Amino acid sequence: MSEPRARALPALASALWRYVPVVLLLALWQAASDFGWVSTAVLPPLLSVLSSGYDLITTAEFWEHTAASLYRGSVGLLLSIVIGGALGIGMAWWRPVNYLLSPIVELFYPLPKSALIPVTALWLGFGDTSKILLIFLGCMLPVTIGAFNGARGSEQTLVWSARSLGASRLQTLRDVVVPSAMPELLNGIRTALALSFILLVSSELIVARKGLGSMIGFLGDGGNYDAMFAVVLAVAMLGFFADRIYQVMMQRALRWRE
Amino acid sequence: MARVEEGFAPSARGRRPVLVAEFGRALGWRLIAWSPVIAVLIAWEVFARSGAVSPFMLPPLSRVFERIASDAASGELVIAVALTLWRALAGFLIAAVVGVALGLAMARVRLVYWFFDPIVSIGFPVPKIAFLPIIVLWLGFYDVSKITMIAFNAIFPVVTATVVGVYGVEKEIIWSARNVGTNERAMLWEILLPAALPQIFTGLQVALPIAIIVGIVTEMAMGGYGVGGSMQTASRMADSLGVFAGIIVTAVVGYILVKLMSVLRRRLLVWHQEAMEPTTA
Amino acid sequence: MAVNGAQIVIDRLSHVYRPPHGRPVLAVDDVSLAVSHREFIALLGPSGCGKSTLLYLIGGFLPTETGTITVDSRPIAGPGPDRGIVFQHFALFPWKTVRANVMYGLKRSGLPRAEQEKRAQAFIDLVGLCGFEDSFPSQLSGGMKQRTAIARTLAIDPDILLMDEPFGALDAQTRSLMQSELLSIWQRSPKTVIFVTHDVQEAVFLAQRVAVMSARPGRIKALVDVNIDRGDPHLFRSKPFVDKVDEIWELVRAEAIKAQQGKER
Repeated sequence: MSEPRARALPALASALWRYVPVVLLLALWQAASDFGWVSTAVLPPLLSVLSSGYDLITTAEFWEHTAASLYRGSVGLLLSIVIGGALGIGMAWWRPVNYLLSPIVELFYPLPKSALIPVTALWLGFGDTSKILLIFLGCMLPVTIGAFNGARGSEQTLVWSARSLGASRLQTLRDVVVPSAMPELLNGIRTALALSFILLVSSELIVARKGLGSMIGFLGDGGNYDAMFAVVLAVAMLGFFADRIYQVMMQRALRWRE
Repeated sequence: MARVEEGFAPSARGRRPVLVAEFGRALGWRLIAWSPVIAVLIAWEVFARSGAVSPFMLPPLSRVFERIASDAASGELVIAVALTLWRALAGFLIAAVVGVALGLAMARVRLVYWFFDPIVSIGFPVPKIAFLPIIVLWLGFYDVSKITMIAFNAIFPVVTATVVGVYGVEKEIIWSARNVGTNERAMLWEILLPAALPQIFTGLQVALPIAIIVGIVTEMAMGGYGVGGSMQTASRMADSLGVFAGIIVTAVVGYILVKLMSVLRRRLLVWHQEAMEPTTA
Repeated sequence: MAVNGAQIVIDRLSHVYRPPHGRPVLAVDDVSLAVSHREFIALLGPSGCGKSTLLYLIGGFLPTETGTITVDSRPIAGPGPDRGIVFQHFALFPWKTVRANVMYGLKRSGLPRAEQEKRAQAFIDLVGLCGFEDSFPSQLSGGMKQRTAIARTLAIDPDILLMDEPFGALDAQTRSLMQSELLSIWQRSPKTVIFVTHDVQEAVFLAQRVAVMSARPGRIKALVDVNIDRGDPHLFRSKPFVDKVDEIWELVRAEAIKAQQGKER
């Protein structure tokens, strides 16, 4: 089937063209140092940042910090997805659960989740568990709300069709309500993904001794600005690509939509 | 449902009980809407006093309130909130002005759009807080760097909303305006901005909570005074009352500002059909 | 009322619609009806008269207020595969392919998977959707979606088929084609069919008996037998058909006007 491939090429080209301004900015960055427009103390040349970055990747220390960050982020996020999703669907399906939990959800909705950084540090200190708890608590909300709204929105006629085709209540929950909730739930997870990065980096900048955020901090304190810039860029790219990859996965999962 | 037979000028004697009843009813509805929140707060108090958790882990709500009251009396609360608000609002205003200007330019000038679109698109999922140390490197440890960080974070939703809002202005409106000879400047101020205002305002409503929270986080990271700074200090000194007081203050301040924005929206967009619909706010 | 041998017996059935905000409304009022095995009966009435509500009550999706519904002398207890339902807006599972939709009811049949697939394929072919087995509903036209829904319901071989204005969302040409197809499917493998519609011609074309319902609250105003020769190639112009349509329309018209006035108030 050559047709999809023929269509993919211009799509790829236009995607690359879209990001040309970023390439221009990077060139500008390098030029700024080459032509002395900005002092290299304030803005290290792009090339030295890249070479520092390359040096970093070869150190074990960098990977320890990265592993710590990835561990905290993914565990917290996964917990929030599983528990938040189950909670949201449970609230939509069983009224008593809704009565019990929706006041709590409503209460936490306007609270900025980053405000929980000092309290989780107070409870659990500077290590992994405080970050995991922070991300779990903070990211649960968008997942729960997405799951709840999605499940609520499942069409009555779909539920009735499943029942009349012989499905039990629980089977209907699994076969109709959960898939119906998917679009909104997956969107909620996308929000949670971005939020997990923010909470992870924030908490690591403030209350951590390990992790990419704290690495940025002590590289800066130590005056090693090349490496600091490199890690900042690495973190930024991580967040960006995580979102893009998730988007692709989401499109694939929702390919049944028009 | 007008009861015409009541006459045009009901007597003053008849009016008072009606007003009281109306007020009572409005208050009643408010109470019902807030009852879940009240229920949770009561549950907090009961659970905290039950002995299931130590007062360090979860201080009773009443003692947190006492702490807030004493901070208010000593003036510390006002100083902290004022400082945080000053930074957040300054950053928000910069983000609003620059964001709307940039969004307008992007929507009207293809070159500007082409240049900034990838930057905006990349900016969204990136945890911009990671750039804080760089901003501190460039701008130092004081308010300037905090405000810049806040503006940097808050500007994204404003730009996006402005672009969407201006793009969404019906072509017919623009053509009619051109038809009667409107020049570019008037087009901008009298046609495009008002038409795009609902969308732009929505972007501003998203940006405000971002400004507040980024303000608090930068304070936590950099220490000093302000709500975030106090919370971080309290955390370091194992002052759990202080930490919880900060959470409540943050939630209340955030809630008030968001409500103010809603009211402002209704006033500003009185002509827009959205405002005509009954609100649940 | 001859109840002996009737498959479905509805006795003095009422249902009150209770919206979350607002006043309760009596939707179905003291309805009694007996439907025989393999009978094709239409429920006809103006919008809002409760005909769909009555269908949902028979399907077991709504609770009854007073009165009983029995199928084969047993009271119904919720929805079940003995009463298959087809909805106006297809109600297909959008995340499943045509084949997966049609197979959904077969999963609980106890048949081995290969048997299930064969059976599903038979029904997909029956409704003329051969070749579209792996398409998603979003890729299908309205008529094709409805055929999928019908295949899905027929695949579990229900004794009773409940149809809620199934062709209402289709354009006129597709509708007319689907009516003929439904009739021929029914003639080949007769089942009890309860068919809700507001279209008099559709009711006369398809059904052996038409239950005319009043405007809300729904009561059965009249039961009209339809004995026409459906083999007539010019059926829609034939005198018996036209007379029958006129006869039933007279009964419905007053109710339709009442329903209209009810809305404007």
